[in-house]
Amino acid sequence: MARDADHSRSDDALLRLYAAGDPAAARALSGRLLPRVYAQALRLLSDPAEAEDVAQEAMMRLWRIAPKWRPGEAAVSTWLYRVTANLCVDRLRKRRTVGLGEVAEPVDPAPSAAARLQGAARQAALQDALDRLPVRQRQAVVLRHIEGLGTGEIAEIMQIGARAAESLTARGKRALTDLLAGRRAELGYDDDRSD
Amino acid sequence: MPGGAQNWGTMMTDPTEDEDEALFQAAMTAARDAPPVVPAALMARVLGDAAAQQPRRWRLSALIGGWQGLGGLVAATCAGLWIGWSAPEGLPDPVVLMGGDAMAGSVAAFSSFGWDMEEG
Repeated sequence: MARDADHSRSDDALLRLYAAGDPAAARALSGRLLPRVYAQALRLLSDPAEAEDVAQEAMMRLWRIAPKWRPGEAAVSTWLYRVTANLCVDRLRKRRTVGLGEVAEPVDPAPSAAARLQGAARQAALQDALDRLPVRQRQAVVLRHIEGLGTGEIAEIMQIGARAAESLTARGKRALTDLLAGRRAELGYDDDRSD
Repeated sequence: MPGGAQNWGTMMTDPTEDEDEALFQAAMTAARDAPPVVPAALMARVLGDAAAQQPRRWRLSALIGGWQGLGGLVAATCAGLWIGWSAPEGLPDPVVLMGGDAMAGSVAAFSSFGWDMEEG
């Protein structure tokens, strides 16, 4: 299948093609959706290995639901964001439970995990700040300000009302802004501005 | 967050709200501009899962040469049916070809069974 043809097709159409047995559709869908799923999982979990597991599982659920998918009922990407978010929340809950019993120290959300993320100091500092937000606020901020989704879609993904999504996003943004302000030097944007 | 973590030495004044907002926006833009790269091994695993889970509706046609092969098979089947049904002139009678004289003899035996004698 031509690359241009892939771009012109909707996620719904590609999923239908996949269900009909077209092998190129899986490549097109994975190329389009896996980066978003993986990025979301990585931002929420701050652990590349766990993020990979979650991303693979979320995509596996997409392949399995493909034959039963009803176009127009929900956007494929929204559905996938929701599955990813739920898988991440499950992992974070388990992490908390395991942390009390089996791990000597609480999970360190900070530099070691974040530094592995991309190696860039700014990314690490941002990830560190994100890790310090309550999970729901982190989800809302990532979806709104990094993934660029609207309030309605965030509400659908998080399975809450629009007003609650708005409130979570606003609180998350305030908290993250404060955290980033405390890391201004690490983030180094002042240096950019003075150049 | 511990208060000490905010002391970066060079910062002597608190940033204004506008500066904080600008910092937030800059961090978000940087995150959007440099999304995490999907590991090649992960992509390979996902595509492997996709192939394993994919419905096999088209696989039979692939075995016989794709849609072109399937079309050829259908055309050949139709042609065979038509030839058999229409029995074109100029071709020998398939019944004679299959049975030969033996078949012709059995037809004669059947006709001489006695039915003709009743007539007279």
